[in-house]
Amino acid sequence: MKYVNAEVVPASVVEESCYLSLTELCQASNATEDHVIAWVFEGVLAPIGDIPQDWQFTGQSLRRTRLACSFVRDLEINPAGVALALDLLDEITVLRARLKRFGIR
Amino acid sequence: MKFKDYYETIGVPRSATQDEIKRAYRKLARKYHPDVSQHVDAEIRFKELGEAYAVLKDPEKRAAYDQVGNGAHAGQDFQPPPGWGAGFEFSGSDFGSADGMPHSDFFESLFGRQSGRAYQRDTHARGKDHHAKVLIDLEDAYHGAQRSITLQVPVADENGHVIIRERKLDVLIPSGIRAGQHLRLAGQGEPGVGNGPAGDLYLEIGFNPHVQFRVDGRDVFLDLPIAPWEAALGCSLTMPTPEGSVQITVPAGSAAGRQLRLKGKGIPGDPAGDLYAVLSIVLPPAVTDREKAAYLTLSGIFNFNPRPHMKGSTS
Repeated sequence: MKYVNAEVVPASVVEESCYLSLTELCQASNATEDHVIAWVFEGVLAPIGDIPQDWQFTGQSLRRTRLACSFVRDLEINPAGVALALDLLDEITVLRARLKRFGIR
Repeated sequence: MKFKDYYETIGVPRSATQDEIKRAYRKLARKYHPDVSQHVDAEIRFKELGEAYAVLKDPEKRAAYDQVGNGAHAGQDFQPPPGWGAGFEFSGSDFGSADGMPHSDFFESLFGRQSGRAYQRDTHARGKDHHAKVLIDLEDAYHGAQRSITLQVPVADENGHVIIRERKLDVLIPSGIRAGQHLRLAGQGEPGVGNGPAGDLYLEIGFNPHVQFRVDGRDVFLDLPIAPWEAALGCSLTMPTPEGSVQITVPAGSAAGRQLRLKGKGIPGDPAGDLYAVLSIVLPPAVTDREKAAYLTLSGIFNFNPRPHMKGSTS
């Protein structure tokens, strides 16, 4: 099917191809810098670099940051709670994947 | 337009205190949060909850809602009373819905639409990044694909009202993409203000459910049913993969649940994933006398106890 106005746009895979700075991560996830800094100190995110200006986040951080944001926005969870929720969610993901391997839903 | 009973959505009586509303909302929000919940309609329920809470948590809006809603029931036809809205001025900072999409018509008829971004002539700012989810077929992850996607984008019209505009994009999906990964389309987000650059568009990839294959990261699984004699004696058979059929050998003496790994036949990448065929042994039913006799012959020939560790059982 062809659209008259369709444009073909190139895309890159965030998780494979790029590192994000603090500013880029905040833009991409709609998080505030204060939140991201608090999450880094809580161990939710682990960027490379010593000071926030030098931080480089892996592509996987985008997903975690988006989840963290939605928990803060929708459930008003503090950084320690976000860390716990994300750790538990990681564990659930592993368990669900294991069930899926055996065809159990 | 149908009346929406926000109290019913949150599950509290009309007499509920603000604290009770907050507690009930929080509990349901955790239950139906789309990032956590497995409920099929989690996303819809969560959106409804958000809308209900946006009204009921704010004493000013709650009072206004109570006034029009007095005696109305959910699903009932509803029109706001004439002159409605004249006496209220709503100033909440969190008026918009979480995902930037407008609330229901019912909500907007009472509380107005979200106002659009204020454009100021001398301001230059980068446009916001936008997010959307895209479902692709597993085969697309093997071969790569060009996909037309339609995005519903909330934009502000000349009066500052939010309207939904459809936008079509052709996206090149690279091979090797996995569920949960994001594609970044530079400059395809919200337009910038003034001379500011446009934001980026992020597409989160998910796979359409497949009748045959299950995916875990890069690895792909399928159930491979075999007959008891194929399991016992081994066999060679043709098996489907997302890239087409392949010939595989089932080793003699394979038990049910055994996983045969086809290295590198999962989702491509560096390293590529593996494809696993999970064996299941299907028993042929014994219906005719000949078939029953065949099972009897088996039981006579084998001195086989399937329950060696079970006490009290007889073989």
